[in-house]
Amino acid sequence: MMRIEKVRPNLIKTIKDHIDAISVAAKQAVKPDRITIEYPRERRKYPDNFRGFIVFDKDKCISCFRCAHICPANAIVMEDYDNRYPSIDYAKCIFCHFCIDSCPTGAIKTSKVHDVAFKSLDEMCLHTTQITKIPEIVRKEEKYTVEYSVERGVWKLVKKRKLDNLEVEVPPPEVKVRKAACIDPESCLGCRLCKRVCPQDAIRLEECEVSPDLEITGTMCVLKIDVEKCTGCGLCVRQCPMQILVLEEVKE
Amino acid sequence: MFAEYIAYLFDLFTKNMVSIPLIQPIVDYLLQIPLINLIVALILWRPFFAVVIAPGLGVLILYLLYIVWFERKLTARVQWRVGPLEVARPIRGAIQALADGLRYFFQEAIVHNEAHRPYFIQLPILAFIPVLLPILFIPAGNVVGIKSPFAIQLIVSFIALIPVTVVAIGWASNSRFAYIGSVREAFMYFAYEVPFIIAVMSMIFLYGSGDPFIAVEKQTIPGAFLNPVAFIVFIIAMLMATSRLPFDIPEADQEIAFGPFVEYSGILFGLAMTLAYEKLYLMALLFTLLFLGGWSGPEFYLLGDLMPVIWLLLKTIVVISIIALVRSIYARYRLDQALRIGWTSILALSLVALVIGVIGAWLA
Repeated sequence: MMRIEKVRPNLIKTIKDHIDAISVAAKQAVKPDRITIEYPRERRKYPDNFRGFIVFDKDKCISCFRCAHICPANAIVMEDYDNRYPSIDYAKCIFCHFCIDSCPTGAIKTSKVHDVAFKSLDEMCLHTTQITKIPEIVRKEEKYTVEYSVERGVWKLVKKRKLDNLEVEVPPPEVKVRKAACIDPESCLGCRLCKRVCPQDAIRLEECEVSPDLEITGTMCVLKIDVEKCTGCGLCVRQCPMQILVLEEVKE
Repeated sequence: MFAEYIAYLFDLFTKNMVSIPLIQPIVDYLLQIPLINLIVALILWRPFFAVVIAPGLGVLILYLLYIVWFERKLTARVQWRVGPLEVARPIRGAIQALADGLRYFFQEAIVHNEAHRPYFIQLPILAFIPVLLPILFIPAGNVVGIKSPFAIQLIVSFIALIPVTVVAIGWASNSRFAYIGSVREAFMYFAYEVPFIIAVMSMIFLYGSGDPFIAVEKQTIPGAFLNPVAFIVFIIAMLMATSRLPFDIPEADQEIAFGPFVEYSGILFGLAMTLAYEKLYLMALLFTLLFLGGWSGPEFYLLGDLMPVIWLLLKTIVVISIIALVRSIYARYRLDQALRIGWTSILALSLVALVIGVIGAWLA
């Protein structure tokens, strides 16, 4: 049977504990083990996969809309330029970086800029032109880069008098060239959704016309995909109601 | 008539001036200029110097600015924080207390409906009387306000008046937390006051007089070694009296949000908040006088009368700085535990100290 007993004070142990407590406090008062980073003056070294400000590279983008589709917060809106490019609303962005993971060409990538602050709600919606490079940081007092190092459970700060680069160099993803192709032309409804959605105008329909006298001119409603123009964005694949369009790897 | 009066005052001041050989030429020069000589003579008049400059009001204010910053900074270091920093960064935020004081000064002092208005406003200011009165009797070498053979007893009795004002402040606030806080303050007052007075009494027995001059003279060995039991009792009583952290019961921030001072804001809060620190200063001065040899220390010719003052203040500040560390070590006792300690072990220890004091006096 368990019994709760009154704790008997042990004088020697009590005094030893007091001395322990006082010596620890005195040691910390003289030389504290604190690991505070003095934020605006010191820059913490973040890992390369840090989820920070999102940077966009227009040249790599194929306007596949995957970033906008996957965004769980609906923060990405495609804007109309010579092609469709993403813009990010930081009022909504939750920094999950699904968009970066989903990008097939590595056109959007992360950076180590984490202090993204705005003066008003309207400013938080960044247009495509504003996210092509990381924002300029004006901070004269920032001189050190600080890194945590843990050895046997003891945390320490390593301070270097060199500023860490906030841009992240990401190796470009291995992109297999893929093109849209129709696997089952017989089932095509001829709804033309794929043609309408294609940003490159790569899908062409050979149309047939039926006159009131039931005379058919031209061939049947046949889908033609221009392999030269197709960027393999897969928009048509997602639109097709019969699911007969796929992205096929181009064999060398 | 008026000129005679001035001449009489000037004569009175110059007869009893603090002599500092280092600035003596400047003083001599200034004493020849009319009107300014009166001001200089007044400032250097020993009672005035003791009460208004050092170890009196001026040093008290400087000490308040120092201790508030130092305590926060030290606690922060022990707890792996940084503490006040952004006000005057090159000196690590050392004027934080000054900035806070200025803010209190310009803040609105709100008096709520339920408060007893006249008392609520008066009491923080009235509370300064028992704080400032002991300074009259605390000597630093030749620099002394009022010389009295009962100075130590007087200091103790004036310090004993401070909790009365704190209880009155809690009563005037007329709110729940303030009520609980003032009741706790009263309980703590019972807990520490008797052992504290007995500890001081034992030292008076040991030195054979309540005169700080005799007490300091007799301390060829510091009083802490002559009567170590009284030393320990005095330290614990000091922690209880100034409501510092193991006995932070009346002001317990986390439970009753600053206890008796919960309703105060603005400059009134600034005055009320510093009460405990001022009490700590007075008790540390008394502690230095009784246990650490007061103002005795190596003399330095050029500073003359200022040297004992510097020694006294230095010892006091060191004592206070060490006591500030206690805040970051211990957790808060419960009220009943503190009362039990006060009426059992501390009281017993103080009686042992009294016996040691009586035996010491008998041996001498």
